[in-house]
Amino acid sequence: MPVFRTIRETHDAFDARKISPSELTKEYLDAIEKSDLNTFITVCKDRVMAQAQHADSIFLKHGKVPREQSPLFGIPLGIKDVLTLEGVRTTCASKILENYIPPYTATAVERLEKAGALSLGKLNMDEFAMGSSNENSAYGAVKHPTHYDRVPGGSSGASAAAVKAGLCVASLGTDTGGSVRLPASYCGLVGVKPTYGRISRYGLIAFASSLDQVGTLSNTVEDSALLLQTMSGHDPRDSTTAPAEKLNWAEQLRSLSKKDLNGLRIGVPKEYFGDGLQTEVASAVESTLKWCESKGAKRVEISLPHTRYSIATYYVVAVSEASSNLARFDGVRYGVRSKEAEEASDLATFYKKTRSLFGAEVKRRILLGTFALSSGYYEAYYLRACQVRRLIRKDFEDAFKKVDIIAAPVAPTTAFKRGEKVSDPLQMYLMDICTIPASLAGLPALSLPCGKDKEDLSIGLHLIGPHFGEGRLLETAHFIEKGRGHES
Amino acid sequence: MVKVDESLTLRVANLARLELTPEEVQKFIPQLQQVLSYIEQLSEVNVSGVEPLTHPLTIETALRPDEVEVFAPDAQGHSKTLKDAPSVLNDGFKVPPII
Repeated sequence: MPVFRTIRETHDAFDARKISPSELTKEYLDAIEKSDLNTFITVCKDRVMAQAQHADSIFLKHGKVPREQSPLFGIPLGIKDVLTLEGVRTTCASKILENYIPPYTATAVERLEKAGALSLGKLNMDEFAMGSSNENSAYGAVKHPTHYDRVPGGSSGASAAAVKAGLCVASLGTDTGGSVRLPASYCGLVGVKPTYGRISRYGLIAFASSLDQVGTLSNTVEDSALLLQTMSGHDPRDSTTAPAEKLNWAEQLRSLSKKDLNGLRIGVPKEYFGDGLQTEVASAVESTLKWCESKGAKRVEISLPHTRYSIATYYVVAVSEASSNLARFDGVRYGVRSKEAEEASDLATFYKKTRSLFGAEVKRRILLGTFALSSGYYEAYYLRACQVRRLIRKDFEDAFKKVDIIAAPVAPTTAFKRGEKVSDPLQMYLMDICTIPASLAGLPALSLPCGKDKEDLSIGLHLIGPHFGEGRLLETAHFIEKGRGHES
Repeated sequence: MVKVDESLTLRVANLARLELTPEEVQKFIPQLQQVLSYIEQLSEVNVSGVEPLTHPLTIETALRPDEVEVFAPDAQGHSKTLKDAPSVLNDGFKVPPII
């Protein structure tokens, strides 16, 4: 198994001629082949080996890693199977897209490849990114990388499991209500969801358009910073990307000379420490906060009073948008058209026969969303949820007048057992209580490993920043990571 | 409080163009009821005068010139967009007669 955990270690190994990009890629492909975690749906063997051999020739020409021009030179990555790659099957872990070969590449992936990254393949996920455990995949559940009877979290479960298991250096996930942060927390990785609008969603198959964001999973904060800055910036092909300035966060972290956290105001919202919080999770977060205080940070007790309505709000807004977005899967232009559809005698039956290919969770959410948008219920459900959403965002706006960042747990518990919540959708939804509010407000947020429970399962510290406040967020996480070590 | 029964489930399924098996209907009824009952708590919140929020940022959505961008065809000169279609006739998507 490849031993380089970070981008920098990998580049140093190339420069020291310990291994070449194609040798390294071959090692990753072998490791993927041997793994039984079920992380990859499609491995792009020929495509990635061609990319790697091209990297070999560039290395020979330059005699060293061209770090300036290609900051991700020769770095093998895993891509969640919700992002398109031209000519490579993209399934969204659904049967309905079993044969879909997109004619274009997602901007986020295109920018990474332009910076030298190599795409090993497409990672398993919950179907259409709907789930918190990566059990809702038409291609089988994904195992937790160290505790095989547990879930890796979802929906970007394989994106986390693959990085932790050493099957890629880092990976892309997407986060709609916590789908990057929850798996990062469960698997002991850094997972970052940037500000809504930071990264282009061109080529990201939509689940809930007012929430979806591309995010990163990596072993270090610095690696996530480098991936995020490479992908960020306005894309004319996605009008929802913000025209925000492109910043060099990785350089900011590298040159960080701060020896303390003096002046940093950390808000601690009481609503995130309520009933149902595993004692060890609470104490790991508390001890990290105490450490931050010992380094000069000021702890400020805050309240985000509408937190308790977040899950209800989310499960109206997200499912409504999903019911609309997933209407495009009709068996006419792409994807699978079922045999029965060909024999349908009317249009409604034609659609229904093909749409039977959706899995149970996807059907459930489409039903909920269609209900919430239907005549007679729209005002009481969808419209009201959008109003409460504004109040949730306002809670954060008020809080960020008093604090610089907010700290909390990522999830109420550590990774649960596979099969434990599958038949109880509401229990599954409640796992997202800590991650959903930042998603509804469009805020950047990350998960940073901050301890383990008695069963050696990872616990994540949740840091949330104001809109476009990734710099401060990454800097603080990097400081804690360096100062406390990864699994302190 | 809304009561989820077979008739409501089938009506919504029809709106969503989903065909449910009798087993799925029976499985979904209590699950949908449970989730909708949970969502019911939103009715406690005082939202009078609150503008609905449909986009999380306050910035304006970017605009670009309204110009047609044509996908490059494949090596044989065929449209890549049609390549994924389940059924194609000439330069169009083919569907069964439905009228």
